[in-house]
Amino acid sequence: MIGNSARIIPCLLLRGEGLVKTVKFRNAKYVGDPINAVRLFNDLEVDELIFLDIEATTKGREPPFERIAEIAGEAFMPICYGGGVTSFDQAARLFKSGVEKVALTTALVDNPGLVREIADTFGEQAVVAGIDVKKDWLGKSRAMVRGGGRKTGYDPVALAKRAADLGAGEILLTAIDREGTYQGYDLELVKAVSAAVPIPVIACGGAGELPHLRQAIDAGASAAAAGSLFIYKGPHRAVLVNYPRRARLRELLGA
Amino acid sequence: MSNLSYRVCTRCVMDTTDPDIVFDADGVCNHCHEHLHAIATQVHSGQDGRGRLEAMAEDLKRRYRDKPYDCIIGVSGGVDSSYVAWLVKDLGLRPLAVHLDNGWNSVIAVRNIANMIEALDIDLYTHVIDWEEYKDIQRAFLKASLPDVEVPTDHAINTIMFKVAAKFGVRTVLRGGNVVTESHHPARWSQGHLDYGYISDVHRKFGSGKVDTFPHLNFPQFLKMFRGGFVETIDILNFADYSREKALARIETDLGWEDYGGKHHESVFTRWFQGVYLLRKFDFDKRKMHLSSLISTGEITRDQARAKLQQPTYDEALQEEDNDFVAKKLGFTRAELDAIMAAPPAHFEDFDSWTRRLDGPAFGMVKRVYRMVRGKAQPPSASS
Repeated sequence: MIGNSARIIPCLLLRGEGLVKTVKFRNAKYVGDPINAVRLFNDLEVDELIFLDIEATTKGREPPFERIAEIAGEAFMPICYGGGVTSFDQAARLFKSGVEKVALTTALVDNPGLVREIADTFGEQAVVAGIDVKKDWLGKSRAMVRGGGRKTGYDPVALAKRAADLGAGEILLTAIDREGTYQGYDLELVKAVSAAVPIPVIACGGAGELPHLRQAIDAGASAAAAGSLFIYKGPHRAVLVNYPRRARLRELLGA
Repeated sequence: MSNLSYRVCTRCVMDTTDPDIVFDADGVCNHCHEHLHAIATQVHSGQDGRGRLEAMAEDLKRRYRDKPYDCIIGVSGGVDSSYVAWLVKDLGLRPLAVHLDNGWNSVIAVRNIANMIEALDIDLYTHVIDWEEYKDIQRAFLKASLPDVEVPTDHAINTIMFKVAAKFGVRTVLRGGNVVTESHHPARWSQGHLDYGYISDVHRKFGSGKVDTFPHLNFPQFLKMFRGGFVETIDILNFADYSREKALARIETDLGWEDYGGKHHESVFTRWFQGVYLLRKFDFDKRKMHLSSLISTGEITRDQARAKLQQPTYDEALQEEDNDFVAKKLGFTRAELDAIMAAPPAHFEDFDSWTRRLDGPAFGMVKRVYRMVRGKAQPPSASS
């Protein structure tokens, strides 16, 4: 992977009308208004954003279509949306409202045909397979669905291969145990999955400082996504939306 | 305001758009007198000021040596608060910076805060107000046609400061207020800052009235505030020969601070609120305060100030853009916002408030009893 083509993507979590940040998929803390955050990220020249509604699936709700349309309308950059997408019509409605990519996590396991269906109509680049990974009591990585609340028995590498076969254009690979912890990405996981599939992998969960992003890319990821890193500053986790300047990113990822 | 009763100070540019303004026999306004008095009694310049600052810093270091911080500072990304941060570090103090995010932050303000805490190695604490709640409160103040639309933010900042002071055991707040450049302030141009009774009455009548998380004081805390408060505040710029130019040079060089053009233009809302809403709806021109300060200290002439007041508050095309932006962000149609702009102004006194409760007959009796008991129990000299 050539360094300067790597993408660095803020990953933002929606709950109701607001933006929240979690630790290990728990303890959601309010961090602001998504529209305001999008405006800040516009000005910070971010190339891409991921929005995930963390309650849509667990509360059995549809994606918040109006809110997403508002967000997509405000954003200068492409938006990937995930959360509560269970049907082709929902995906179509999201694309129509300006979303570029739809992420499927629970549906990837429960309704794999949907991946193929969306990819056939909107192209593979429009479908992102979300794989949320948690270590079980034996220390084995296992894919989880429903916001990390339900086990699937899938090994993440096997699920990633299956997703690629189904026509997913990309994998959003999140280590639940690392999410919000600042400990760095689960690099073993990133390596294993990146090596196993021909499609790009977005590493997510654990970024606590800029060098962590580079580590994920070096481990084989095409992109590194981060939440806390681009939302918080300092020991008190002060909310301060930030993103490295281009020169800093080049310095970090180039060569 | 009828033109017959219009009158302007002979020394500065304050006028009867301040309903409480009083003129002396020479036509000089109360604000000019208050300003000169404040400068004479509260400002210490040169070695005297520096000496006082250093003594204060030593005192704070001693008092808080067992705490993680020596003082609290509020930061907005603006000139004054950035300079306070610089000065506090220059004095060798360990400040905790506190920022309140009300959803209107500009990217430059956010970047200024980020650069500042990095350059000075300061810890930051933020509170983010729930935007849906805050939006509803701001909408209520606008629908009520009140000039106090920024009062809820100020109230929230005060509340957060108390919470942070309690959480870290540090009750000294070093502030960026200063009597030299911040004077000529008409009380009626914005009021009720500590009075959550007022804020909640406006919100009850013109908003949904439902508040889950908006930071606010309760009535006993409000009473305590009136009697000296939870925190000790020191306006350190009164001791530092403060000038905006000096501060700008310092923070641009040392902190990588970026200008966003114009005092209090750190957010679109503040710019619109001061430059469009207050001026067009209430005829409150906050530039008069600032220009009068400058006249009072001899930095500009009265004629120069009057010429500036003939200019628009800021670019008129941008004012129009801001009208659209503010309407959209607060969930008004342009027609609704225009109707608000055209509606007759309302005032603090039109609403229920804790202040009114304190002045009312019921509390008046409590106060009389309290004074009687206190008067008997303690010698008068011991009262504070």
